[in-house]
Amino acid sequence: MGRTKKDRRIQMAPHFNGFKPQGIQCKTGEDVSINFEEYEAINLCDYELLTQAEAAKLMNVSRPTFTRIYESVRRKIAKAFIEGSSIYFEGGNVAMASWYRCTQCKINFTLRENEDKFCPFCKSQVIIENN
Amino acid sequence: MIIAIATNENNLQAVVDLHFGRCTWYCMFDTENRKNSFIENPAKHNPEKAGCDAAALLIDKKISMAIAGRFGSKVVDIFRRNNIQMVIPETQQTVSEIINQIK
Repeated sequence: MGRTKKDRRIQMAPHFNGFKPQGIQCKTGEDVSINFEEYEAINLCDYELLTQAEAAKLMNVSRPTFTRIYESVRRKIAKAFIEGSSIYFEGGNVAMASWYRCTQCKINFTLRENEDKFCPFCKSQVIIENN
Repeated sequence: MIIAIATNENNLQAVVDLHFGRCTWYCMFDTENRKNSFIENPAKHNPEKAGCDAAALLIDKKISMAIAGRFGSKVVDIFRRNNIQMVIPETQQTVSEIINQIK
């Protein structure tokens, strides 16, 4: 049995479920599933333009591991683009930095340490943990 | 408690900026006397680490909450370490709408 994967730290999960190709009559190819650590890798590297070493530090993995995650997501995206498959975001070994949501105020927020869980705007304690 | 709101204009009708590090102004709102002031973001055109520099400036001003449409991952890291609350509104709102929601 292989060693279990270390949890990758990610700052925020995507707020939508994935992508689907436009203008095709019937689905070709299989759906591609991108997990949350891969989403975070492409976000850090190609959207926020960090170096791989910086990104690896933020995700709490070694630089070579980060490169493997990044390679894997690039291949998956290329596969989906060329074959016209849908992309879903799901799964992965992740430790999500926690964000909360208040449905009444329609805001997402983090909490301070050592503080009760309530919405910063309406002070209501009815809040949902995102994950 | 002082709250920093990222905006692109220095008036209360401006909408909350979509990105924390690259906005033009921060509206500093004090919840105790309900007064606000605007400070300019000096790091707006930095090629990199705009968010980090802006965050350092705001931490000096002793803020305890920051509101913007998006926070970069370096900024999220800094704010979490300094125990500052981050808020992301889901719909586009003006600064005065946000201030009225804060009780």
